Amino acid sequence: MIITNGLTKVFKSEGVETLALKEVSLKVNQGDFIAIMGPSGCGKTTLLNLLGLIDEPTAGKYFYFGQDVYTLSERQKTELRKQNIGFVFQNFNLIDDLTVYENIELPLIYLGWKKKARNERVAEVINNMELDHRQKLFPMQLSGGQQQRVAVARAIVAKPPLLLADEPTGNLDSLHGEEVMSILGRLNNEGTTIIMVTHSQSDAAYSRKIVHLFDGQIINENIIKGS
Amino acid sequence: MIFNYLKIGFKILYRQRGYSLLNIIGLSLGIAVFVFIYLYVQSEFRYDRHWKDDDRIYRISTEYNINDQRELVALTPFILSNSINSHLEGVESVTKIFFSDPSDVNDMSTLIYNDIVYEVPDITLGDSNVFRIFNFDFIEGNAYSALEKPNSIVISSDVAAMIFGEESALGKKIKTHIREYTVTGVFEKKGKPTHLFFDAIVSVNSLNEERLGAMTHDWFWMSCYTYVKLKENIDGGNFEYDLNEYTNAQIQNFIEQSEVSIRGVTKFSLESIKDVHFNTSLLYDNPENVDKLYLLVFGIIAAFILLTASINYVNLATARSLKRAKEIGVFKVLGAIKRQLAFQYISESLILTTLAFIIALSLVEILMPQFNILVDKNLTLVGSLFSSDGIVFGLLLIFLIFTLSIISGYFPVFVLAYLQPANVLKGNRILISKHGETRFTTAGLRKFLVTTQYIVAISMIISTVIIYQQMMFLKSYDLGFNSKNVMVINLPQDTAFRDRANDFFEDITNNDDVLMSAVAGNIPGYTTGRMMYYVNDSNNIKTLSVFLVGSNFFKLLEIPLMEGSFFVERPNDDSSLVYIVNKAALDTLGERNLVGKNLIGSTGTSGEVIGVVRDFQFSSLYNGINPLVIMFSDTRTRYLLLKLKDGCQQDIMKHINGVWNKYNRTQYLHYTYLDDKLASLYKGDYKMLSLFIYFSIFVIFIASLGLYGLSSFLIEQRTKELGIRKVLGGSAKSILLLLAKDYLKLVLIAGVIASPIVYFLMSRWLNTFAISTQLNVWIFIFSIALVLLIALLTVYIRARKVIKERPSRSINFE
Repeated sequence: MIITNGLTKVFKSEGVETLALKEVSLKVNQGDFIAIMGPSGCGKTTLLNLLGLIDEPTAGKYFYFGQDVYTLSERQKTELRKQNIGFVFQNFNLIDDLTVYENIELPLIYLGWKKKARNERVAEVINNMELDHRQKLFPMQLSGGQQQRVAVARAIVAKPPLLLADEPTGNLDSLHGEEVMSILGRLNNEGTTIIMVTHSQSDAAYSRKIVHLFDGQIINENIIKGS
Repeated sequence: MIFNYLKIGFKILYRQRGYSLLNIIGLSLGIAVFVFIYLYVQSEFRYDRHWKDDDRIYRISTEYNINDQRELVALTPFILSNSINSHLEGVESVTKIFFSDPSDVNDMSTLIYNDIVYEVPDITLGDSNVFRIFNFDFIEGNAYSALEKPNSIVISSDVAAMIFGEESALGKKIKTHIREYTVTGVFEKKGKPTHLFFDAIVSVNSLNEERLGAMTHDWFWMSCYTYVKLKENIDGGNFEYDLNEYTNAQIQNFIEQSEVSIRGVTKFSLESIKDVHFNTSLLYDNPENVDKLYLLVFGIIAAFILLTASINYVNLATARSLKRAKEIGVFKVLGAIKRQLAFQYISESLILTTLAFIIALSLVEILMPQFNILVDKNLTLVGSLFSSDGIVFGLLLIFLIFTLSIISGYFPVFVLAYLQPANVLKGNRILISKHGETRFTTAGLRKFLVTTQYIVAISMIISTVIIYQQMMFLKSYDLGFNSKNVMVINLPQDTAFRDRANDFFEDITNNDDVLMSAVAGNIPGYTTGRMMYYVNDSNNIKTLSVFLVGSNFFKLLEIPLMEGSFFVERPNDDSSLVYIVNKAALDTLGERNLVGKNLIGSTGTSGEVIGVVRDFQFSSLYNGINPLVIMFSDTRTRYLLLKLKDGCQQDIMKHINGVWNKYNRTQYLHYTYLDDKLASLYKGDYKMLSLFIYFSIFVIFIASLGLYGLSSFLIEQRTKELGIRKVLGGSAKSILLLLAKDYLKLVLIAGVIASPIVYFLMSRWLNTFAISTQLNVWIFIFSIALVLLIALLTVYIRARKVIKERPSRSINFE
């Protein structure tokens, strides 16, 4: 599904260059659940941003279902992203001024879905995520776990084949963290490919493969037993 | 300590030089435009404010209604001042000054001394009381007695300097082409604006009774301006009542004694000398008079430009400095107390504001010559600062510098010290009702300010388009005659000219480039006189404008004949009167056919009407086409009209100059092209158009700057949200619309509010013309659409970076 070849990212700030990723080559199959682990500043989020097409590499290639995505125009990348990739962030990144319902509906609006189809799909997802009673609330009126459930709902509403999660439980207590992880596990079981950045061993235990990053390089890849 | 604040201030401003520059440009342009308009309006309000006892000095104007023809004129009958003097109580002094058309210069406007001819554009006649009412500063001579004796002349210091240099002028003999005068006084003219525009004034008793003729006792012959100075504690209203009571009786007497039957009502009105400059409703008045409404509009625009520039400045400054919340934190950690922080920020804005003021005043000084050309004035910044009301102006500027510095400097400190910055930053994004929370929000105020700015901007743009359209309409309007390539030469008025006139005309037309020539006493575009006429078998007397023209006049101007015949040259001994009238005169006199009938003037003159011509626009398009009677005369001429070949303007001048100098050695050649003369009738309107174009550009620029500042606020606080939307697939277009839609709504609201206001004001302006363009709804739609586009572009310029930025950056933005 995904193949990267020598992905490299250098940040430049006021003349100082920082190497964030160094020639990362990775293969992700459809249905995979991959956890990317490593110490702070090792390039985990940078790699996720590159895979999610919300950042550009300094060098390297990225094939998504055989398509060399970095040869695409900005508009084509946006199209590819909104149809294929869902995002879950550590800090939820919900829009404060939109209700739970409106937040979840947003990707479908950008995809140009008709109102009726949107209503049906959003209702379905809200029901799945057990957010029925909270759909008219604003994010600030929800607990962290509920907010992340909304974020996950928003990420999967358009049924993307790939879900990218950046420390999805980082801002949650263990109970709510567990809840979110079991949702991700369920989604993976239903066929969604997931790539997740995490510090947490227990979260990583939900994945099928763990990729360890250090100083911007992959140092090893472990297949989880029993997966 | 203060030095230290300033040093840090300079460093910060230099580091943020892009922002500093933008903010300084906005404020300095706003101040510069304000100062320009202020100086202009101030100069208009200075007219006639310097006369001693100005609250007791009045000009008398006339409203007369003769046989249902109503006219408002600044002129009065000659007899009026004599009547006031001898029959009314409460008068300290009364005087009359004769009318002269300031735009019509000929050799009556020359003075000769030691055989050298000097041009003095405005020579008029006045009686001995002129200087009793108007306290001109006399450098030489006695003001009160200067004009008592016949053949006296009082000249301005400029004229005295031009003719006599350092020598004393008093007692010197100077000549016009008609008679010799003795200089009995020299007055100072400089720097005090007045509607009285004479450079020299001749005693009215220089003219004998015979020359003045019927003018001296005719109550319907408007010939001069009458000014009256009332005694102390005399009420103007009461005096006006007494005046009309007395004159009504006199006028009825006059009507009864005259041979014709007139149904006439004449009302005289007193207007304070201080208001004369603002009266634009009267005929034969100073063309430089301005409508107070326009000055009020300019004043409002100026105040508004300054206000919006200031608000925008504060908005931009605070938007920028709120970004420095972290810096405030660092200052606090380092031990700065709130007062020190305030001083730091205020010193920064003091630097910025002072710089903006210096740039603004420099701009004003640099652009003043261009501005003076634009408004046809001689304004100076220094002159204004050091005038009597300059202190107010200076204090206002200083007050502004400090107020702006303190507000824009202290606001961020206040916000960050007392309030949660995050809440303030959110501004209009807080949905109080949904959250049930109450937070500090300035969003409503900002929206109000933006809307108001756009009301002014849209009003200015619509008005400019309408003025432009009207000017183009006037330019293309068919005047009923062909003014193209017609040169008008002002003929010498000395009595001897008649002897050489024929040779002169022959020589001057003896050139292949001169296609045709005609002489005339009146031509379109110049002020005309009026007289009362009736047809011999009716008693229907009407006031008609009067032209005196020679035989080729109609052919040269291509004015078509409707019936009868044109004038033909006649033997010199034939002094019988013949007339041609225009169509409007036919209608006014209520006649179907006039050819062959006799037209009789109120002074008893009588002549046969030989033709009727199609109506032509002989006065400005402010007036419709008035009834006109055209009298044949090839001797009482003021102008020579030459129809020239196309494109010969350069070459013909050599020929004309040569012939002129051969015949008229002591006279200056004054000529103009009829097209130019006609265009000059709308000089004030073209001036207004230019001002509106410039002001519109400034207003829209300043409003855009305000919007830029405001969208900065918005974008700063929504960067992360925009990033999330992009991650979720939001396109650049959808994000731009999301940011701009609130403002576009405000612009639309502004357009809806501005349209009726502009409609009212511009209809009023258009109504001052007899012929005007239609107010088209598309002008309004076009202008609002233009402003919407500019607003969208402004938001785009600010949002471009965020829109183009990779979402990974924006979502990590805090």
